[in-house]
Amino acid sequence: MSHETWQEQLRRGSLDLAILLTVSSGPRYGLAIIQHLEAFTDLVVTEGTIYPILGRLTREGLLDATWVEGEAPHPRKYYRLTRHGAKRLDHMTREWRAFTEKIDRLIDAARGHDHAAH
Amino acid sequence: MQLTEPGESRVNGYLFVLERSLKTFLPRDVVRDAVREIESHLRERIAAADGAPTERDAVERILAELGPPLRVAQAYSAERTLEEAVATGRVVPMMRAIWHLAVSTVVGFFAAIGLMVGYLVGIGSLLVACIKPFFPENAGIQFVHGIPVGFAAQFPVAPTTDLRGGYWVIPLALAFGLGVLVVTHRCGRKYLAWWRERRVS
Repeated sequence: MSHETWQEQLRRGSLDLAILLTVSSGPRYGLAIIQHLEAFTDLVVTEGTIYPILGRLTREGLLDATWVEGEAPHPRKYYRLTRHGAKRLDHMTREWRAFTEKIDRLIDAARGHDHAAH
Repeated sequence: MQLTEPGESRVNGYLFVLERSLKTFLPRDVVRDAVREIESHLRERIAAADGAPTERDAVERILAELGPPLRVAQAYSAERTLEEAVATGRVVPMMRAIWHLAVSTVVGFFAAIGLMVGYLVGIGSLLVACIKPFFPENAGIQFVHGIPVGFAAQFPVAPTTDLRGGYWVIPLALAFGLGVLVVTHRCGRKYLAWWRERRVS
């Protein structure tokens, strides 16, 4: 696997979690979600590909989508976390923390080994 | 920023291509909702656009950040069709998903050819079973140099064609055809499930 493929898989694998985290603090519309992700991460490579993921998360029942008119000159589609989505997010966050902790330990062990070898 | 006529037609052109692309894979109501959402994104970005020397630069930058319409459409299709095909296993969603992967990836193209051969062989065998009672001399097992190569039907039968078998060919062709169709369909579903897992999200 090339470095780019690995990075791409890592990015895709964490996008669901990042989107759920973004809407966990309250309802947001598509562009606001993208802007939040862009402010905190570099997970958004092509803005237009975020919308199909939002659609899938909605179909899976993790998000609830509602069109709001009159707030801006154009209608906005707001997404909010459902109860099922909140449970999934909680589970995903714990999994993510446990996973990164293990990888960090592995990296520390490898670096410690390198230092000892030198 | 208020768009002038050329800017407006550039945005409408983008949305038109996106809509046309989405229509080939998705139901009409889903397409309408998706295009409405992308338009909302564009209008919001354009309204807040500043710093670009010209309107054209601003619109092109916004469209580039959103991604080419075909790429956006492919992302929608991949999320939607793969999911539906794997979950339901129904023929139409499966065909849509296989077609989508065939036109967008090299591996998908060859997988689609393999699956198409499987489906054609299965359907062909079933057709031979259906034809046999009405045209017993024209349908049967084809032999080439004394070796059976498969079920076949020919109208009229060429002198060089060696078709053999009595009515017992019917249950054999039915069983073979159904078996090939089931195996091909299962392979197709597994392939799509593998592809969906590979995409991760």
